[in-house]
Amino acid sequence: MNRFPILKIVITHLISRKRQTIVSMLGVTFGITVFIFQAGVITGLQDFFIEKTINATAHIQIYQDKNQKSPPVLLSIYDEEETWVSVPNIKSKNELPKLKRGLQIVEILESYPEVTGVSPSLSTQAIFKIGVADVSGIINGVNIRKENQLFDLEEDMVSGSIIRLETVNNGIILGSGLAESMGTMLNDNITVVSPGGVALQMKVVGILDTGLRELDNSRAYSSIRNSQKLMDVTGNYITNINIKLEDVEQSGVLAREFQSRFGYTAEDWKDANEGIFSVFRIQNIVTYLVIISILLVSGFGIFNILSMMIYEKMNDIAILKSIGYTDVDIRNVFLLEALIIGFLGGLLGLVIGFVISWITSIIPTNIEGFVSSEYLSINFDPLFYLLAFLFGLVATGIAGYLPAKKASKIDPINIIRSQ
Amino acid sequence: MKKVLEAKNLNKYFHIPVDFHVLKDINLTVRSGEFSAIVGPSGSGKSTLLYVLSSLDREYEGDVFFGDVELKTLSNKKLAHLRNKSIGFIFQFHYLLADFTSLDNVMLPGLKLGDLTHEELEEKAMQKLDLLGIADQASKRVNRLSGGQQQRVSIARALINEPQIIFCDEPTGNLDSKNARIVYDMLKNLTREFDQTILMVTHDDSYLSEIDRQIKLLDGKILDRQT
Repeated sequence: MNRFPILKIVITHLISRKRQTIVSMLGVTFGITVFIFQAGVITGLQDFFIEKTINATAHIQIYQDKNQKSPPVLLSIYDEEETWVSVPNIKSKNELPKLKRGLQIVEILESYPEVTGVSPSLSTQAIFKIGVADVSGIINGVNIRKENQLFDLEEDMVSGSIIRLETVNNGIILGSGLAESMGTMLNDNITVVSPGGVALQMKVVGILDTGLRELDNSRAYSSIRNSQKLMDVTGNYITNINIKLEDVEQSGVLAREFQSRFGYTAEDWKDANEGIFSVFRIQNIVTYLVIISILLVSGFGIFNILSMMIYEKMNDIAILKSIGYTDVDIRNVFLLEALIIGFLGGLLGLVIGFVISWITSIIPTNIEGFVSSEYLSINFDPLFYLLAFLFGLVATGIAGYLPAKKASKIDPINIIRSQ
Repeated sequence: MKKVLEAKNLNKYFHIPVDFHVLKDINLTVRSGEFSAIVGPSGSGKSTLLYVLSSLDREYEGDVFFGDVELKTLSNKKLAHLRNKSIGFIFQFHYLLADFTSLDNVMLPGLKLGDLTHEELEEKAMQKLDLLGIADQASKRVNRLSGGQQQRVSIARALINEPQIIFCDEPTGNLDSKNARIVYDMLKNLTREFDQTILMVTHDDSYLSEIDRQIKLLDGKILDRQT
């Protein structure tokens, strides 16, 4: 039996009006292509950036906030109500940013099932010297195995190896930008001077390039022991604990828990990178506005073309109704035409969008900036493709429904009598 | 003979541009197998009467029974089904779907009815085209056909679902005398050989002698009834 008596009509209409069909199809195609490409580039960049940042920063970082002011001691003496205590110019106590019982905290943290890696470290500013060149930066004393477990440093090494930090006495790993501005190469000997005036001869055992310029330009790694020597402190002195979690999304909750449990500031990575995320949010809003307006425009295109088509096809509609096609059949004819245009146009848009994205992703762009990367990183998330396609179908569906509804209301007698 | 169509106290008014009483107290019965024609001068309301009787125009007073059902009581959907299954139309301007082939045009009402498979329907449509002598034009698009051929395609289309009645609105009005003759002969043939009921509007009186029954209309009134 013929379950779709209108299919024949739909196909004949679309084929006999090739130009109109193709033009309205291309409207959808264009919209979807832009959707795919723009969403791919923008979120690709964002994901790349987030991934790099997540890789390079801890999910949670525990440290002592030196700037926390201690309440004036007078308050503990004059604590009655109606008593006003005013102490101007309170200065922070000259406390070292040491995490007391830091290594015990590390052990406790390692017992949490949500935690996948814990790396204690201490960091201090330092001047790196070679000959007459000197550059300031930050030296991190780390257990390199633990640090590597957290940040995949091995992946980012451009020369040397991380394990030499353990085997070579006084070894140091430099960020690529840092090494470049000093003009150092692998196995060079440099001098590191701490703010306290301690100088240490160190040997460059590796150069690291994470892609995050700010880090690469200033960071160096040494063993915990050597950093402690630079800072002139004892063997259990650490200033930071970096933590990686099984699930990044839990970082906020766990950070609050750690903060109240250990009494030190625990900052999750979203707080640490708040500025970037608000930029991303604005970027996303703009992106979606652009995409929606493009689809809206192609929706209007379809609306126009179908409305015109209905005027042209008044006769056909009258004939179809006089030979027994129902209002619903007529509506479905035009709705189906719109949906087929949306379907084919959308499909073509997905393919073109994919091809353009793919071509863009293999052309070297050598972006140098906030983040450096050889290629534009593009998001090929199938969810975008699905979303773009559904959006296209919905837009054409709505654009087609209105004229289709109008067509279904046409009374054949008005057309036949007017001839 | 069985009643196919019956109009009782049918009145019809036009309100635009001015109030006008088009059809006045029409009482009319069409029986199965009749070949009847509504005749009259232009402006007498023949086409209007045909549109009312054929369910296209439902703004009237009085009753029009198709079989047992009054047309105004039908929903749009039921009405569409009635037109599809029981009524065939042949108009003056052949009203075919220009983008389709002759065969597709003939098949369209059958596709909607859906009683036959596509192959059976195609075979049946070919038979109808053959009956009307235009089987060789089946795969041509209808806008490539001559006026006479187009009108024969629309007759084939009217026949495809074997309707109880075929309404013709000036079927020869747009044709030269030779083609008009052919179309007439075919319609007559349908009534004689296949017992097809036909109600036709015409002002062409050259063939009226061959018609079973004439319904003369003047100023919206039936003048003379021969039943």
